Amino acid sequence: MGWLDYVWLGILAVFQGPEMFSLFGIGISVTLVMILMGFLLGIAVGSTPGLAGPMAMAIALPILISIFGFTPDALLPVMGFLLGIMKGATIGGAVPAILFNTPGTPDAYMTTLDGYPMTRRGEAKKALRVAHFSSASGDTFSDIVLILCAPFLAVVVERYLDLPEKAALLILSLAFIAAVISNSVGKGLISLGLGLLAAYVGTGEDFYPRLSLDTQVLAQGFPVAAVVLGVLIVGEVFCRLEDIRRDRRLKSSSGDIVQAKATRLSGAELRGLMPYIGRSAIIGTAIGALPGIGSTLAATLGYASAQRRYRRSGKTPKMGDGAPEGIAATEAANSSVSGANLIPVLSLGIPGNAAAVFLILAAETIGGFNPGPSVFRQMGDAVNPEMVIAFGLFTCMMIANLLNWTIGGVFMRSMGFMSRIPKHVLLPVVLLLTLTSIYVQETRMAAIWFTVAFGILGYAMRRLGISPLPFVIAFILGGNLEQTARQAFAATGCDPLFLVSSAVSILFMALTASIIVLSLKRPKEAPE
Amino acid sequence: MKRILTAAAAALGLSALSTGALAQDWTPPGPIKLMIAFAAGGGADTQARLIAEDLETKLGWQFIPEQVTGKGGMNLAMAIKDEPSDGSVIGMVVTETMGYNMMAADAGVTPDDFTAITTTAGFQMGIVSLSSKGWTGFDDMIAEAQGTPLRFGVMSPKLADLAYLLGEAQGVEFNIISVQGGRAVMNGVNAGDMDLGFMAGIQGRGVAAGELVNLASALSEPLVQTPEAPMLSDLGVPFNADGYFLFIAPAGLPTEARDAFATAIGEVITTDGMKSNDMITKAFGGPTVIAGDAAQALVSDYFDAAGRLMEAASE
Repeated sequence: MGWLDYVWLGILAVFQGPEMFSLFGIGISVTLVMILMGFLLGIAVGSTPGLAGPMAMAIALPILISIFGFTPDALLPVMGFLLGIMKGATIGGAVPAILFNTPGTPDAYMTTLDGYPMTRRGEAKKALRVAHFSSASGDTFSDIVLILCAPFLAVVVERYLDLPEKAALLILSLAFIAAVISNSVGKGLISLGLGLLAAYVGTGEDFYPRLSLDTQVLAQGFPVAAVVLGVLIVGEVFCRLEDIRRDRRLKSSSGDIVQAKATRLSGAELRGLMPYIGRSAIIGTAIGALPGIGSTLAATLGYASAQRRYRRSGKTPKMGDGAPEGIAATEAANSSVSGANLIPVLSLGIPGNAAAVFLILAAETIGGFNPGPSVFRQMGDAVNPEMVIAFGLFTCMMIANLLNWTIGGVFMRSMGFMSRIPKHVLLPVVLLLTLTSIYVQETRMAAIWFTVAFGILGYAMRRLGISPLPFVIAFILGGNLEQTARQAFAATGCDPLFLVSSAVSILFMALTASIIVLSLKRPKEAPE
Repeated sequence: MKRILTAAAAALGLSALSTGALAQDWTPPGPIKLMIAFAAGGGADTQARLIAEDLETKLGWQFIPEQVTGKGGMNLAMAIKDEPSDGSVIGMVVTETMGYNMMAADAGVTPDDFTAITTTAGFQMGIVSLSSKGWTGFDDMIAEAQGTPLRFGVMSPKLADLAYLLGEAQGVEFNIISVQGGRAVMNGVNAGDMDLGFMAGIQGRGVAAGELVNLASALSEPLVQTPEAPMLSDLGVPFNADGYFLFIAPAGLPTEARDAFATAIGEVITTDGMKSNDMITKAFGGPTVIAGDAAQALVSDYFDAAGRLMEAASE
């Protein structure tokens, strides 16, 4: 079984999977339908201020699992749907930013700077076209890098890293995430520590349930979905509900401006945008490949780099006054984060952002696919089913890109009305859907109480300026970290210094220490 | 001795079932909660869900599967203990849960606090390594272990004890690495993180393809796939890793309910064309049905044996 065989098997797994219906005698696989549905839903969700891709992924996941079950056949349809949401939301995020000056997600803030002025000039449609073109370009570029890099990196990790080095690498990743996600490394570490604490309740190798306070409820540990959805989604909803209560002013809308009809982008215009898109795509991909640094920083850096270049060119209008180049640079940068973010997920099993967290959650819940270096292992003549799934996922991403290039633009430009959905209606619906979907998956009432409790924790963390993402990532990696460390300890014949027993692990631990120390020295007002 | 005992117990159980006329009439009081002690998506979980699916198709009983994982099945045991014993809740564990793990957990319960319903399949537990290691048999591995300690992957504390006793009996030292689940052992062995490990049937395809080799049988009988491999008893270890998947219920489940479950499960997993039969045949080498009193006797036996194993390993 060569690599190309796996690529082909992955493509077949998507197209020849369980059939949904047949069209002119040709069976349409359920995976294809799910990618399309996820993608359209993603655009709608991204276009709605107050909703975001990860929210939709979180709510969809338990519902999808209850439909598709826990068989390996469920992996591609479910994850294809989630990937579709992820990609759809990425391009959808520009819609409210351009039309209504309200960024749907933080990473679309920079898009408002040039997008909204263009709308006021009557060029909204053109701005949306620029956003779509740049976003789709950045996304596709990022996916190609992912497909080329992830298997290679996984093979290197698997071949050269032994158990102690793997444990050191996990510690390094966690330290990196804690240091870079939030402004304050201290707060990042608090979030991380709490996440590890939650991960260690009820787990462990002993038969005695750890940290369970002698209760049967805690002895099984916290359900993953309850913790992740609680902190990320319910916590966010609580915060926003409070914001609405505090701030009842209505944002001004710009519905009355007459929009120009001729909106096609000429070839010359596209050629002018390409250098900006290219640079931003590279910046976004590089940032995406590092776990924990989000698309907001990518957008900021992409915009800043474009600004320098644009100023030298001396064109008008100035950037910030409605230059398509500004939109292109921002959208290409924040969109190219999403594909590259899966590099650490697929090659190391380390999630770097909320979307990746839900993809890992899907894989873990369904079973049969464990993101990590073992995915890309060659098994001689036998087929490695996990590698087939991995290449199936790559195929899903490419199909989503194809959808993006073909129908994405049209659909996106029709989504303006989503911004008018009032938040005070939207948020309770999200809350109810989240709780319902958790009950669907866990089928016990305790899971709901856990979700609400972790929602309150997520709310408190946001109000205290502590990013909840290190918490969630640490919670997901906690078990993995403990097992790898225990195994490394046992494998080295119970050497207490196993973390500094080889050159590679010493390097990883030294990097861990220096990341923390350097972040402590960083001035407080550094940009996020 | 144990083998004879098991066989006798099995025969007894089957004959008890054939007389269970009452069992035919019993129907569950409502939807049945099916607790599963295994991670979602794995072979064991799939087996439990397919059995439930087959029963739903065949008898119209309704199942609500629920994952209660962790602590080698003890989380499930402690949770199911206080559930109603009217047939509305059953669970799937391995016999090791009711044996070694229940003994080791010291949680104040014994197999008598549960009703054993029926086993579904046994394990083809072997001691396995990559064939690229160059070991053609058990002795080659021991010869290499004389020089440097080898890494031995295990997926339960009982197997860790067995690995330790095996090393002791052979005069070598193993660095015993505990992981969660048989697949993790196989991944570890494949990745070179471990030199050898216990695998409970998952090695079948790899052995057939010539990539993995069964160095020894961890059972009280030879492995079906590699009958020439020595058994633990040949290697100086008076214990074995015999075990089965087992359906249980809280203590006090009425006999007619127990037998109705056992008969129904036994029938679907041994009937050609049923999904669970197909899966069990592929993944676990075929169904093994030990039901009712025989199953109860089996777990009591394992529970007692666990005490002796722990004593031996702690010496």
